[in-house]
Amino acid sequence: MLSIKNLHASVEEKNILKGFDLEIKPGEVHAIMGPNGAGKSTLGYVVSGREGYQVETGTVTLGGVDLLSMEAEERARAGLFLAFQYPVEIPGVSNLEFLKAAVDAQRSARDEPELSSRDFLKLAREACAQVDLPVAFLKRGVNEGFSGGEKKRNEIMQMILLQPKLCILDESDSGLDIDALQVVAEGVNSQRCPERSFIIITHYQRLLDYIKPDFVHVLADGKIVKSGDASLAHQLEQEGYTWLHSEPEGSGQ
Amino acid sequence: MSNWLSGAIARGEQVDDWLSPRRQLSLALLRESPWPTRKTEAWKYTPLRAIESAQLAPVAAVAAPANELAGVIEGSIDLTFVDGLLQSIEGLAVPEGIVISALDAASQSQQDWALAGFSAIKPERHLFGLVNDVLARQGVIIDVAAGAKIDRAIHVTHLFSAGQEAHTRILLRMGEGARATLVEHFQGSELSINTGFTECDVAAEAQLEHYRFALQTGAALSVGGCHFKLGDRAQLNSTVIGFGSNLSRLDVDIIHAGERAHAKLNALYLLDGDELFDLHSTVEHSAAFGTTVENVSGIAAGRSKAVFNGRIHIHRHAQKTLAELNNRNLLMSNRAQINTKPELEIYADDVRCAHGATVAALDTTALFYLQSRGISRDQAQILLSFGFINELVEQMPCQLLADWLRPQLRQRFALMEVQ
Repeated sequence: MLSIKNLHASVEEKNILKGFDLEIKPGEVHAIMGPNGAGKSTLGYVVSGREGYQVETGTVTLGGVDLLSMEAEERARAGLFLAFQYPVEIPGVSNLEFLKAAVDAQRSARDEPELSSRDFLKLAREACAQVDLPVAFLKRGVNEGFSGGEKKRNEIMQMILLQPKLCILDESDSGLDIDALQVVAEGVNSQRCPERSFIIITHYQRLLDYIKPDFVHVLADGKIVKSGDASLAHQLEQEGYTWLHSEPEGSGQ
Repeated sequence: MSNWLSGAIARGEQVDDWLSPRRQLSLALLRESPWPTRKTEAWKYTPLRAIESAQLAPVAAVAAPANELAGVIEGSIDLTFVDGLLQSIEGLAVPEGIVISALDAASQSQQDWALAGFSAIKPERHLFGLVNDVLARQGVIIDVAAGAKIDRAIHVTHLFSAGQEAHTRILLRMGEGARATLVEHFQGSELSINTGFTECDVAAEAQLEHYRFALQTGAALSVGGCHFKLGDRAQLNSTVIGFGSNLSRLDVDIIHAGERAHAKLNALYLLDGDELFDLHSTVEHSAAFGTTVENVSGIAAGRSKAVFNGRIHIHRHAQKTLAELNNRNLLMSNRAQINTKPELEIYADDVRCAHGATVAALDTTALFYLQSRGISRDQAQILLSFGFINELVEQMPCQLLADWLRPQLRQRFALMEVQ
């Protein structure tokens, strides 16, 4: 599904990713953990095509299609979804208008007709209910005045509406209390299926209690230094990342 | 002195009607007025070359543009000026409590108050206001009785066609506790010159909902003014929309003459190509406990130019005034220009005031956010720009007008030259 090979990327001429490799098969859930500054968020932005994130070398393909040559919106239409760590507030643009524009753009890229307002509203209401957001949120400005938890749930709602092939969740657990965390996790779990894969970027093992990953990777200094199964997350929770500095690079891979 | 101004004065000398005693005063001031140059503060960023060089020649058999707002406001009382000529209002049905008459058909009692009120609210400093004093033979006098609640909006449309010059005046008087809505709508895109000035006397506890849709575009040259005097506890809610043209200038004056009056002024401009829109607003807090909220937002694309000068003047006795002025601008092209100058002058010591002005490009993070959901960059720009001003459209009290305006704004965005 997603194949990242020897990815080197920089931001403002600073090298952040330094030979990142990852292979994800359909239906798999991969967690990426690591200390601050390791390049976790950069990975999400580079793969989704944010301006200012420069790819030096390497390849990223989704279902065999080269992502790096595409604009951000084309990557989204190819089935990529990034749940933002800090979802953006856009006053004056209603959530509903934004969501319909997104769904219509993706449908039109697949040569499907735009949804009628009524059909779309029905879908949007169902998606709201799934992440426990009141329907009134559809009328409010995008993320405008939403609490941290509401913003994260809004991200998951978008994921449910857009039905992507590969979802990258960038610290979707940060700033959430335990109830909100469960809602987010349930939203994600409801979308797990043999055709859809996930990358879950997180600092803490907590979220992974609710979304069981197939693989856990440790990202440090721009590349994966250790990979394992779900038990690795528990080990990291207990031991922290200090061991990274005492072991030779690349061990455990 | 420009040829155009000397011509206007010469034409003004020929005007002879019941307003002549008042017109003479303005004529005298006009003779002493220099033609503005770049050194004239009020016209620093808005050159008047277009008016000086305009070769107006009426084009035969050209129909005035169709009124785009016709029928939009349910039940409105409609008045239409075509090239400055008021279309007959004989038989105009109006509700009880309101009298509307043409300037040239005013009764003796109307003439009496109109003579006293004419140019009593509009400050003398507006050069084109003086021109309008002298040349506006057409206009309407609107008298709303004390306590009258007029639900039907008064909708005045000004249509301009090629080669014409038009000068129109509206005088609105609202008695104590009266309520009314005035919609002023300007439209035309061919080379023409117009001045349209409106004076509103809003008595104690009266409430005025006001709209100035300055939708003239293209080669139309337009200079106008809206001037309000607010009595004790009077309320004004005014919305200005400007599309910009070769020359579009609007002066808004709000005078808090009575205590505890409340004024809200929201203004939006959307400019593209070579369009210019210049909004000068002055709020005079002359009495205590008044409040003013002024939000001005604009977008400039192409090689367009926006000028905003917002002055709030709090006089010595206007204690406990609350005033807030915001000007937010979005630059969509590196050749567009925005000149903004908020000014606060405060002579009272117990007031709360804030002002701010920003000029920015679209937020790249928000753009990426929309693109990351599959929305094209072009559409994302339209959505974001639209959202930027839709915040103010949402605040318009008249839902019908807001619903009419939104698609117009969208269409303008879609055509904007973005760089």
